[in-house]
Amino acid sequence: MNKAGTDIQFAICGSAGDGTIAAGDIMKRAAAAMGFHVIAFDVYPPEIRGFGKCISRIRVSSEQAYSLKEQTDVFVSLNDGHAIPHVGEVRDCGAVIYDDHLIAPVPEGGHISAHVRPAQIPYGLPIRQVSEQATNSARSRNIVVLGYVAGLLDMPPEPFHKVVNQKFATKPPAVAEANIKAFDAGFEVGRKVFRLDDVEVGSAPEADRGEAVMMTGNGAIARGFLEAGIQSYFGYPITPATSIMERLAVELPKAGGRFLQTEDEISAISATIGAGFAGSRAATATSGPGLALMTEMLGLGVMAEVPAVIVCSQRGGPSTGLPTKTEQSDLNLAVFGGSGDAPRIVIAPTNVEGCYRCAGMAFEIAEAFQVPVILLIDLYLSNRYETVFPSGRNVFAPKPRQAPERREGEEYKRFALTESHISPRALPGDPDMMYTATGLEHNELGKPGDVLHMKMNAKRHEKLKPATRYPGLTTCKRFGAEGKVDVGILGWGSTFGEILEAMFEAQEEGISCSAMKVVMLSPLPEEELRAFFDDCEVVLVPELNYQGQFANLVSGALGRPVVRLDRTCATPMAVADILAEVRRLASDVNEPAHAAAGGGA
Amino acid sequence: MNERVEPVYLEEKLEEIRADGHLRYRSRSLPTWCPGCGYFSMADGLTVALNRLGLDNKDVVVVSGIGCASRFPFFVNTYGFHTLHGRVLPVATGVKIGNDALTVIAVGGDGDAFAIGAGHIPHAARRNVDMTYLVFDNGIYGLTKGQTSPTSALGFRTSSTPYENGDMPLNPLLMLLSYEASWVGQAYAGRPHHLTDMITMAIEHKGFSFLRILSPCVTFDKTDNTYRNLGMKVRDIPEDHDPSDRLAAMALAMEEDHPALGLFYREDRDTLGEVMQDAARKAQAMNLAPKGL
Ligand SMILES: Cc1ncc(C[n+]2csc(CCOP(=O)(O)OP(=O)(O)O)c2C)c(N)n1
Ligand code: SF4
Ligand SMILES: [Mg+2]
Repeated sequence: MNKAGTDIQFAICGSAGDGTIAAGDIMKRAAAAMGFHVIAFDVYPPEIRGFGKCISRIRVSSEQAYSLKEQTDVFVSLNDGHAIPHVGEVRDCGAVIYDDHLIAPVPEGGHISAHVRPAQIPYGLPIRQVSEQATNSARSRNIVVLGYVAGLLDMPPEPFHKVVNQKFATKPPAVAEANIKAFDAGFEVGRKVFRLDDVEVGSAPEADRGEAVMMTGNGAIARGFLEAGIQSYFGYPITPATSIMERLAVELPKAGGRFLQTEDEISAISATIGAGFAGSRAATATSGPGLALMTEMLGLGVMAEVPAVIVCSQRGGPSTGLPTKTEQSDLNLAVFGGSGDAPRIVIAPTNVEGCYRCAGMAFEIAEAFQVPVILLIDLYLSNRYETVFPSGRNVFAPKPRQAPERREGEEYKRFALTESHISPRALPGDPDMMYTATGLEHNELGKPGDVLHMKMNAKRHEKLKPATRYPGLTTCKRFGAEGKVDVGILGWGSTFGEILEAMFEAQEEGISCSAMKVVMLSPLPEEELRAFFDDCEVVLVPELNYQGQFANLVSGALGRPVVRLDRTCATPMAVADILAEVRRLASDVNEPAHAAAGGGA
Repeated sequence: MNERVEPVYLEEKLEEIRADGHLRYRSRSLPTWCPGCGYFSMADGLTVALNRLGLDNKDVVVVSGIGCASRFPFFVNTYGFHTLHGRVLPVATGVKIGNDALTVIAVGGDGDAFAIGAGHIPHAARRNVDMTYLVFDNGIYGLTKGQTSPTSALGFRTSSTPYENGDMPLNPLLMLLSYEASWVGQAYAGRPHHLTDMITMAIEHKGFSFLRILSPCVTFDKTDNTYRNLGMKVRDIPEDHDPSDRLAAMALAMEEDHPALGLFYREDRDTLGEVMQDAARKAQAMNLAPKGL
């Protein structure tokens, strides 16, 4: 999407140990401090030690962007071996920045300059030398190039200085000083270089929404939980969910909450359900393999009507799969996993801001419907950075609880059949309402017995229906053209960013299209979905799994055909792939003869 | 050895039972156990213990797994959570963390504890969660109608070991003693008064208390853990046993032919709740920044 004003993507590539990710981190925070929208995603090597490849990609824009761009505007190499395969992602007239004074000889074709296309603009500078002159060490090469980029693009140095000082605040002052020297040295060189290019950082938009905060999806979830007054957290480490746990390990005790690393995921969910039963706002976070272990206890939560919040950040599967790669293949598990008919609420935010808001509301929703709520995200969303504008006043704070009213002389009916299908819930400690919760089918008192199975099953399902209209939560939303369109793109989760970018481009090409994101996957907002299908000649569902799990879910629930775009490429979906499919479908709609040959429903 | 020496008259006994007040801890549901099942002693023992300790019904939560033993919460008039097979300890841990003011009692059978749930025991024990774990050990799977359990004796014949059990039974007391449990004891369903005393002590203990209760399954075990056999085997714990001596407790636990009844081991150390309070204090003092910026 070509945006008015600034829209620049930086990439910095090096090996672990070059400070690649750290430099990227400073860049994104400085840009956010200037008031820009930022989306960033870092790629780490799978192995912990060694000199694997790291890339930090950062898109800085004055208008909200929805995904990274396919093409990078400014690319920096800190390690040519790693960077060479990525030079191709730089657009025509884009900048390729590298060290042109390497101290070791390189074999022919081993130097990055040999890989720069004629249309790209090479910027060689003696990165190492500048670093050594400024700080007596080659270790600030990453900061030198940052300064260089800032100078080249006329960005103000102050925000960078501020972020550097913050970043090294816990180190001796000399560290921050050296880094600022390195930055300034790079900045001076960059400022003097003639800019051939049309790349420009304009002024930032007016900050009308309060202060922007840089967060990852996982950080946003932890923040949402904390603002919602989370009281206990139980977890077992697993990529890509671990950083939620690590954040809460630090923050929860500060807030007077309780944090426990359990012996496995079964224990984590069991303790979450136990704490929920006792009235505590409790959560756990895991990935697909952990969620698979949790499903039996999830069923107990459904049966015993206990609120709990479970985050699942998906990665490639099945089994141990691709632990460091993104995928959207746990939808079936999240929506259906477990024995019996076990309806639960599944919420899948589509961006970092959504992670924050959904996490903030998850406890309230779990309590309102007395059911486990799954927040379904994926590695791409867990780890990518975006600027978020948290609400100034805390809208997620728990509201005071109302204990059920006890009628004199009547036994407390924990599972009373009511009009709303929701039964007032007593908590241990409430006088005269002692009951036993159970995973056995039960009567209104909670006593085992199968007579009411049909009614209780209906209760557990029907009570969730109003969740799709829960006030303050966007459970689905349509973007782009209104009314009848040729092509509708239906999406969920992190892929919706790429879908939106593709949709806007298609619109610019004159294609009649619109996109709808579905945030609540269970229960589905069926009415809104039906209206969308009614408006679209054809509906395309792009998602990152092989089976088309969301496509199956929607077309099964609505009985409508969809066109699938399933990819298991271990990366976010390419905007170009979605766009190509939209173009094909649009031309099919307009030239039906062509469709008979190619279109699949 | 005989606990009842005086003749007892029904009417007088009923009056005594009603007057004593422990019936307010019994729920209105009649136990579904087979007549003669050892578990009736546990139901009685717990209600008497709760009465003795003067705990308010609303402040007690009995959490259980799945099995005959795990039906227990339905028969007690407190809050209860009948959970999943093998998951009683993590759920009970969550309940206690969720509300520290509650008295949490975990209950389950030997299969629930030492087969499917075995992975959770070391962790509840070493964390010293302040709760009481009562394991009703009948050496068999009662609810599923009589299969071998991890505490079934070698040579035991059941529907799942028609050619005799060849798996070495495990030793629950020795396990718990090595898992850092801070209170370990043993009782027998056939000695209800002693059992009640042990349950009382176990609840009073600050920290994780583990009480193994030997109990006959009168329906599916006619040969091994019968009242007759158990009654002949059990003995009082030696008077000179020092419950702070873990090695001595372990040696005693290894004398499996003559299970000793009483307190094996007791230690005073911080509970999980206290450790968490300490973390909260340190968090205030240190004000750590989270990873990243
Ligand atoms: C996941 C799971 N597996 C198996 C069962 C079936 N099951 C119920 S109780 C039980 C064993 C009960 O034995 P024990 O724990 O010793 O209790 P007891 O009935 O002897 O008191 C089994 C295998 C179950 N409910 N859930
Ligand atoms: S089957 Fe055995 S353990 Fe179960 S109630 Fe009957 S006697 Fe007791
Ligand atoms: Mg048993």
